[in-house]
Amino acid sequence: MSAPAAIELEGLSKSFGRVEIIRDVTLAIAKGERHAIIGPNGAGKSTLFNLITGKYHPTDGRVRLNGEAVDQLKPYEINRRGLSRSFQITNIFPRMSVFENIRCGLLWAMEYKYSFWHLVDRQPDLTRRTEEILSEINMSDKRDTLAGVLTYAEQRALEIGITIAGGADIIMLDEPTAGMSASETEYIVGLIRKVTESKTLVVVEHDMGVVFDLADRISVLVYGEIIASDTPENVRASAAVQEAYLGTALEEEA
Amino acid sequence: MSDALRPLAPWGVAALVLAVLPFIFASGAALTVMNQMAITIIFALAYNMLLGQGGMLSFGHAVYMGLGGFFCVHLMNWVEYDNLWLPLPLLPLFGGLFGLFFAMIVGTFSTRRAGTVFAMISLGVGELIAACSIIVVAFFGGEEGVSGDRTMGPTVFGLDFASQQEVYYLSAIWLMISAAAMYLYSRTPAGRMANAVRDNEERAEFLGYSQRKVRFMSFCASGFFAGIAGALFAINFEILTEENLNLATSGSVLLITFLGGAGFFIGPIIGAIVFTLLQTVLSLYTEIWQLYLGILFVATVMFFPSGLTGLIAIHFRPYHLGKISVLTKPYALIALPALGLALASASVLEIAFHARHAALGDEQMSLFGLSFNSHHPLPLIAALALGALCIWLLRRQLPSFREAWDEANYAGGPS
Repeated sequence: MSAPAAIELEGLSKSFGRVEIIRDVTLAIAKGERHAIIGPNGAGKSTLFNLITGKYHPTDGRVRLNGEAVDQLKPYEINRRGLSRSFQITNIFPRMSVFENIRCGLLWAMEYKYSFWHLVDRQPDLTRRTEEILSEINMSDKRDTLAGVLTYAEQRALEIGITIAGGADIIMLDEPTAGMSASETEYIVGLIRKVTESKTLVVVEHDMGVVFDLADRISVLVYGEIIASDTPENVRASAAVQEAYLGTALEEEA
Repeated sequence: MSDALRPLAPWGVAALVLAVLPFIFASGAALTVMNQMAITIIFALAYNMLLGQGGMLSFGHAVYMGLGGFFCVHLMNWVEYDNLWLPLPLLPLFGGLFGLFFAMIVGTFSTRRAGTVFAMISLGVGELIAACSIIVVAFFGGEEGVSGDRTMGPTVFGLDFASQQEVYYLSAIWLMISAAAMYLYSRTPAGRMANAVRDNEERAEFLGYSQRKVRFMSFCASGFFAGIAGALFAINFEILTEENLNLATSGSVLLITFLGGAGFFIGPIIGAIVFTLLQTVLSLYTEIWQLYLGILFVATVMFFPSGLTGLIAIHFRPYHLGKISVLTKPYALIALPALGLALASASVLEIAFHARHAALGDEQMSLFGLSFNSHHPLPLIAALALGALCIWLLRRQLPSFREAWDEANYAGGPS
């Protein structure tokens, strides 16, 4: 038998009261795969994301990371198992410097945990690794800027930096290019491609160009159900997908 | 100075100042004020581990200082009557441990959430313990509190701590130790994550940290240092009462921290110094000193939400640009009317207070060396007129002051 999938969803459902947001989703994402989840507004993409990352617990079904059930764990426990995520709404530490934002992303992964006997400024390995990540996301020159005063695109790049800092194997990005101009989008997609090299990537995205460019496989989520999960070419060709969602958007892309 | 020593410079200066202060202000009253200042500084710094560093607004932090203090009075009594061997200089450590112990109990349920939930629980626990002080007489001593005698322990290097000066140096040393430890704590992973959880608890959770545990650790550390402050209070005053636990004390530490600036490590220190000075010195001159304190607090919150330290900090940019001199003249120009306005306002308040509250038939009052009849309308009218004149002068200066301020903060050359 082959190695377990990086992320495996089995019969996953989530209801808020009587409203079913996610209905019986079954999906396996292999290690090293770049997987995109697309779907119209309100299809449940972010909810699905929050179910996988532990922000919500499913009403029914299972979430497995590398074969281990995680659906009842808390976000920080899931993070410690090698999954890191970004958010649709920029989610950084606004009153801390860019450097400190990245460093916060590293502390747990570098085994500092809840230590109150290490001084963070006296850890050469921590400082070096933080600076490496800063240069990877091309923000070395913003090192001491307060994160809250960065431009929107810079904040998004910083958030990706925080997300990848801990060295998680599975990276989940929620609409990383939302609200960006074409050139900014191009830049961020390049950055994502670079920093998630050889990792498992799951991305929720609205921008079709981004999705077809980045993903190995695409799942289409409509009304809480996955109606197709295939390569970009096949998704593009699928009549069901076109009917349900893509239609006009795809023609524009073509 | 080498780069490695540079961060130590402020600490060296602080230690030096603490060492020489009793030689400059040698009177007993001054020593009492300074002792109280040291205690308040430790307490406010501990409080700011919650408010400024951890984003937790507590309305009941007097409890941890108070409990540490009560416990230490009992320890002093055990030393006196039951031959417990405990040198006085070590007492604050035990006060801290008792504060820590109690914070660990309360922290298990109060740190689950920040924000309003935390604030309400802290208020509830605060009231609960304050109420207990009347009920659990064995520990809290009821309404008269518990008192002890600090001089009964084994002497240390021949010191028995009977004199104020010896207590001052004991307090000063614990102040240095506590302040340094709290500063260093803020530079550890646990301290940095307290900032992270304050800024964005959700993000911190997705980086592997339990927001609850991060808050719990800050809360315990804060309880520990508050307990040290309580122990020093016990040593200094040798008595603790319900007042050390109640809401007013909890409120004043919030006020002190906010006044000084919760966003800066040094903020609570400045707040505690200013507050203690106003409390002790102003109260010698006027009965309505609390009103002035209240006005100062409201003005700070409204005009300088980052506190007195923030007010100092906004001058760093002009200073680094080498343009601080641009501000000298505008400051000098507004200083006089501002001072006049403050004096006029104070006069109005004092006259009104005297007219309403002085003993029947006592119509003469003296203010700023002038003696006059507070029931006559003329002094009041004069004060109001002076105030109006100063406001008019200030308003006239405002545009050019604003211009100078912008110029001083502008990185380019003269425009």
